[in-house]
Amino acid sequence: MFFHIVLERNMQLHPRHFGRNLRENLVAKLMKDVEGTCSGQHGFVVAITGIENIGKGLIRDGTGFVTFPVKYQCVVFRPFKGEILEAVVTMVNKMGFFAEAGPVQIFVSNHLIPDDMEFQSGDMPNYTTSDGSVKIQKDSEVRLKIIGTRVDATEIFCIGTIKDDFLGVINDPATA
Amino acid sequence: MSGEEEENAAELKIGDEFLKAKCLMNCEVALILEHKYDQLQQMSDDPRNQVSQVFEKSLQYVKRFSRYKNPDAVKQVREILSRYQLTEFELCVLGNLCPETVEEAIAMVPSIKAKGRVHDDDAIDKMLNDLALIKKFE
Repeated sequence: MFFHIVLERNMQLHPRHFGRNLRENLVAKLMKDVEGTCSGQHGFVVAITGIENIGKGLIRDGTGFVTFPVKYQCVVFRPFKGEILEAVVTMVNKMGFFAEAGPVQIFVSNHLIPDDMEFQSGDMPNYTTSDGSVKIQKDSEVRLKIIGTRVDATEIFCIGTIKDDFLGVINDPATA
Repeated sequence: MSGEEEENAAELKIGDEFLKAKCLMNCEVALILEHKYDQLQQMSDDPRNQVSQVFEKSLQYVKRFSRYKNPDAVKQVREILSRYQLTEFELCVLGNLCPETVEEAIAMVPSIKAKGRVHDDDAIDKMLNDLALIKKFE
């Protein structure tokens, strides 16, 4: 799910950036530093939308750098266990398939794909029901439920399932 | 947050910070990101160099999965859903997935039927009808 939240960060600024454009420099550096990063607690920072407050700067001993506490609003993407969302299939193999929902990767193991769907190898590997009516392949859109998340320093990985009511393919690129 | 183990969106256990935060539906994110992308485009010829991969992927994703394209419709969806005593998170899941039946809605957002909530099936049905109407007249 996407959220709009307020975060705080201490920004260190080199004295050469002081002057009339201090604020612009600070904001530009903040965007460069923060946008596109990911933390386990807040998820992926997609875009900064506004600056709430820039606090009083504090000169660091010895270096001349100044630290400013900056409060900013941003759009973040944070997946949660138990959340249901839509995703695009990016890769299919006999172990299951990978899907992407915005910046996050979700793996759905073949144990969590309905039992009536069989893996078919070939140019375009896919999972298909025995009557051929439903097919999951690259670029399919699926609705899935996140059942687990793994967080490391710079990325979040999710495990999902489509073995539940109202989950599964919502749009097949072959028939669309 | 009280620990990774207890996190469960189906029971609205998403941590205090996110429960109180403003959630965004995909269509709202699309409006925000497109606006920002346009701004960047005015400043430089090739905004693709300016934005992070996370931004790029998010923009593609929300464009693909936005149920409502028209900014007025997006506003209306939030307005209508907010009449039903939903939390921000529930509101956005419903707005994103647009379930068609009461059964589907409850499967997508189990917490709306949790004990202590006021929703009966009729109220949910009315809510889904209101949503479908916006889509129809968009």
